[in-house]
Amino acid sequence: MKMKKTDIGVVVFMYAVCAFFYFHMTKLKASSQTYPRFTIILLFGLTTLYLIQMLVAAKKHGVESGVDVVFKDFQPKQFFVCLAATILYLVCIYFFGFYISTVIFMAAVLLYLRVPPLFTVITIVVIVALIFFAFQKFLGVKLPVGTVIKALQK
Amino acid sequence: MLETLSLMGAGFLNALTPINLLMMAGGVAMGIIIGCMPGLSAAMGVALMLPMTFTMKPETGLIVLGAIYCGAIFGGSISAILIHTPGTPASAATAIEGYQMTLRGQAGKALFTACYASFWGGLLSCISLYFFSPLLAKLTLKFMSAEYFWLSIFGLTIIAGVSSKSIVKGLMSGALGMLISTIGLDPITGVKRFMPSSYFAEGINTTCALIGLFSMSQVFILAEKKIKARAQATKFTDKMSLTREERKTIRPTIFRSWIIGNLIGILPGAGASIACFLGYNTSRQFSKHKEQFGKGSIEGVAGSEAANNAVTGGSLIPTLTLGIPGESVTAVLMGGLVIQGLTPGPELFGKYAPMTYTFFAGFVLVQFFMLGIGLLGCRGFAQISRLSDAILIPCVTVLCFVGSYAIHKNIMDIVVMLSFGVLGYLMRKLDLNTAAVVLALILGPIGEKGLRNALRTSRGSISVLFSSVVCWVLIALCIFGILSPIFMNRLEKKAEKEAADATGANVEQLTEEDSV
Repeated sequence: MKMKKTDIGVVVFMYAVCAFFYFHMTKLKASSQTYPRFTIILLFGLTTLYLIQMLVAAKKHGVESGVDVVFKDFQPKQFFVCLAATILYLVCIYFFGFYISTVIFMAAVLLYLRVPPLFTVITIVVIVALIFFAFQKFLGVKLPVGTVIKALQK
Repeated sequence: MLETLSLMGAGFLNALTPINLLMMAGGVAMGIIIGCMPGLSAAMGVALMLPMTFTMKPETGLIVLGAIYCGAIFGGSISAILIHTPGTPASAATAIEGYQMTLRGQAGKALFTACYASFWGGLLSCISLYFFSPLLAKLTLKFMSAEYFWLSIFGLTIIAGVSSKSIVKGLMSGALGMLISTIGLDPITGVKRFMPSSYFAEGINTTCALIGLFSMSQVFILAEKKIKARAQATKFTDKMSLTREERKTIRPTIFRSWIIGNLIGILPGAGASIACFLGYNTSRQFSKHKEQFGKGSIEGVAGSEAANNAVTGGSLIPTLTLGIPGESVTAVLMGGLVIQGLTPGPELFGKYAPMTYTFFAGFVLVQFFMLGIGLLGCRGFAQISRLSDAILIPCVTVLCFVGSYAIHKNIMDIVVMLSFGVLGYLMRKLDLNTAAVVLALILGPIGEKGLRNALRTSRGSISVLFSSVVCWVLIALCIFGILSPIFMNRLEKKAEKEAADATGANVEQLTEEDSV
């Protein structure tokens, strides 16, 4: 099997994690270092082993990008719109509370993904009702109201 | 013996309370819905529903999770039979014969066979759950600190190897999870470790990590692909039943598949996706009507479905007794157990025996609900299985958000869940193992306590880790855990190849659905 260039990212990420934890570990008391040290050595060793495997594969079979396999059929616009909407949804919950944000988020994403308006409305009503009855009524979870709504209520 | 029988009886009485019965029905229905939707996996469903069980009694919560698990494994067969797309990888072999039966106008018969075989597979698997669990749990009484350390390593080697294409990558994922598990207060000295804020004092919230790694990451996987219209589910008009002769034909198949599925389930590291192919192949080998295979054989459907559902009871044995889940779903189930404040091992069969036996009884009753709901609701579930990814993406996102928030009613939990969602997505894209991270988050603290207590008693000498026979047995099992994927992969490939050779079906296409 050829070495994939995308795996370089995996190795770099793992070494970075090791370095980060090692740097912070040195500030700890000796007794608290035992287990983190063990896991850092383990991760470092395994990553190095994988690096060696990669290099052997590169020498024997050559190198390939790997991006075309990892991101096969990738729809960048759709993916990043959904990701951005998810992050905005989180921010919106903090300011406007759970229910308002959920309705806005679901409507935006469903319409963007070309779900017909009638199905959009039905989906939103079903999900909001499910959460209201299952979480708020049955489990007694108080869902976030939002700082803006709280301020307006005062 | 008498004590066990009385515990079993009491377990059934507890399980038969109206709330437990209601939860079983709801859990099975939810599981079937999740299972029949291609793109959603059993592990994802159990992770998503985990927060719902927090406020329930531990036994009720576990029954719900068990019901979702069983329902999802069976649910995968509905879309496999009707739209030739297995809802979960565990039903890949069912699609071969099941869809052929649908094309022949026997969809009702195929669905009945799947439901009937799943019921018997699941029900019979409970026998081993009752008998082997207490015995294996007693074994762990001999475990000291060093043994617990090795046990945690063994658990990781098993799951890291199994669900990964590369064993080293799987182990790297486990080590990464172990490192993440050290975030928070030192469990022995109380010193702050790697904490950016006091929110992380108790470490990373396992449930948030679970939801992120299994459910939120799946949302991102769905969001990156072009939204496609699903194939039309075949409307079937034939009666959902089998003749007495047909039932007699599939009886030995179900029995054989139960043995296969159960053994595969007990063996940590093997899962329902392997069992279904082995069950299918064995049914073909022993069949008196080999010519029907590839053209729609009820024995093929029964063999695959009985085997994958027989895995459920078997896989709970190492999970509940040793704390070693053999696959992703049981790793999530174990998360549910730990979150309820319960530790797998002898305590579950001693101090918490009434709860454990109630769960076992609930697991038995769940099979009956699966049979009833499965038979009555097949037509409805078939329509749900066609639900577009465009609808699933925002719905699952909202459930991930509300689920992670419900735990401590803290928005930071959603941030953690989302972060693990992104991490899980990248890990899955790069063939790293999310299940190993989750398991490491659960087993990490057990391993740390074991290692440090062992070193403290030996005044820092690591020889304590090699001082007992049990330690050496566990070390040997760790080596087996690392090497077993090679054997398991060969076994799965062989079973798939045999199925493909015999029927001409494109097994690769059926199994390519990514599973968590």
